[in-house]
Parts: sequence; C-alpha cells; structure tokens
Amino acid sequence: MIQNFISMNGYGLFVWLSFAITFLACATIYYKTYKTLKKYEKDFAKELEQLSASERKLVLEKSKVASQVLASYNKSI
Amino acid sequence: MFDLINPSRIFHWIEKLINFINSIFFILLIIALTFALILSPPDYLQGDSVRIMYVHVPSAWIGLASFTSIALLSILNFIFKIKNLNLITKSIAPLGLMFTCLAIVTGSLWGQPTWGTWWAWDARITSMVVLSIFYILFILAHKLIEQEDKANKVSNIIAIIGLVNIPVIKYSVDWWNTLHQPSSIKLDGTSSIHPSMLLPLMLMLLVLLLYCALILLMKYKTEIIRIKKKNIKRI
Repeated sequence: MIQNFISMNGYGLFVWLSFAITFLACATIYYKTYKTLKKYEKDFAKELEQLSASERKLVLEKSKVASQVLASYNKSI
Repeated sequence: MFDLINPSRIFHWIEKLINFINSIFFILLIIALTFALILSPPDYLQGDSVRIMYVHVPSAWIGLASFTSIALLSILNFIFKIKNLNLITKSIAPLGLMFTCLAIVTGSLWGQPTWGTWWAWDARITSMVVLSIFYILFILAHKLIEQEDKANKVSNIIAIIGLVNIPVIKYSVDWWNTLHQPSSIKLDGTSSIHPSMLLPLMLMLLVLLLYCALILLMKYKTEIIRIKKKNIKRI
C-alpha cells in the first residue's frame, strides 16, 4: 500500500516532484521574506537607539509604527 | 476611504493577521494534502498524474489574479495618485512571479506523462511565459530605476500594458486549437470537474491563498518599516 502511494501507479516522480518544487519555492520565499523583515526591524531599532533620549521619546510618541516595530523587535530577541 | 489603507492605521492589524494565519495554516495544509494525495480518486484517463492539478491550477490562478490586481491598482494609482498602492503592488509582484513560474514548471511535469512532451509552444503556455516576462519587467523597473517616483511610473505602465495579456491567457484555449485542455471549472455552474476532485483543489487553493496573504503582509510590513526608517528624522 505504501509502495503504491509512493509510486502513484508510475506517476510518482512527476507528482512528488511537482509538490516538492511548489513547497520548496514557497518555503524559500517565506524564509527570505521573514529574514528581510527581521533585518529591517533590527535596523530600525538600531537607528532609534542612536537617537538621543528626547528624540527617541518624541519619535515613539508621534509614530505608532515606530513603537510597534520596537515592541515586535524586543519580543523577537 | 483611502485613509483605511494608511500604513500607520493598519500596521497593528498586520501583526494580528500574521499570527492568525500562522495558527491555522499548518492544520489546513495537512487537511488539503491528505485530500490531494490520498483521499481524492485518480482520473479515469490521466490516472494519478491528475494530482499535479492540485498545485498547478491554484498556482496558475494566483499568478493571473496577482497580475490583474497589480494592473488594476496601477490604474487606480494613475487616477488617484495614492502612493500606498505602490507598496502593495511591489509586495504582490514577487509572489505572482513565483506562482506563474510554478504553474509553468508543474504544467511541464504534467505535460510529460499526459501529452508525451515537457514543452510545446502552445497558446496557453506561451501566454503564461509572456506573463512571467511582464512580472520580471515590473520587478526590474523597481530594482534598476533609482528614483522611486520614476520607478513607480514605469512599473505602473508595464502592469497596465501587461493587462492585455490576461484575457489572452484566459481565452487562449477557446480562441486557438491548443494542446492545453479547456478549463474544467466555470463560474456559470457548468463545471465538468467531479466534486471529489473539486474539494481538494479548493482546499489547496485556500492554503496557497493563505500563504500569499502571509507573505504579502510580511512584505507590506517590511516596506512600511523601510519608509519609516528612511524618514525617521522627519518623524
């Protein structure tokens, strides 16, 4: 039964290769997108740290996005 | 209305949506794969090779739908000059290209056992290759043109020109005598696909759409952070 499932009545190579290529491509894009997102979050947090305390406070008060990015970055480290 | 797509407004929803999709994605994936690879029956003519359809067809649909969305958003952008739409189209393009390429590759893997050839310069297949070229041009415009406004303008024009290709892909199997089979699923209810095959197809489509939403949200979030980072001093 397992042999039949793997061989797919002679079409196994084509079927499994199609699914494998699809999932490999999806996984690669996911990994790259995730890595890029984390890199930008890190860079953004670093840039915020370089600001003076008063400037940072002002940025975090004025920009909701800035405070959320910082929170998300702090959660991930 | 356009304020609803304001990056600052929707940023916190993005995180929530990403978490929600992550929580249901793997369960749905396992269900869809069980139906596609185990529970659905083999086709009476194509045998088990029909299972390739469960990744090939959703990939092709997503490739087409993504380009149509990009082109329509580009038209909207030309009319209303909403900068945020460029962020969305830029985030959709790599996904659309990937799914168009997947449709071509899995189609080729289906073609070998079904038609006896990996490739044919058939109207449907050729128009899909043209679509992938439009995607590549769209992405290259953003990569190669340094001035953001100019890059957006050029990529919008490419998308609008490429829109002409979409009906050609859709109706190529009706207009020309092609090797590719005519569509089995029609919106007017005259579909010729059996429900036992339609269910896994729809489940795989749902899983891939959720995947697209996940990537799109992550890319959109990255774009917002990139812009905020550039303007950090101005905040």
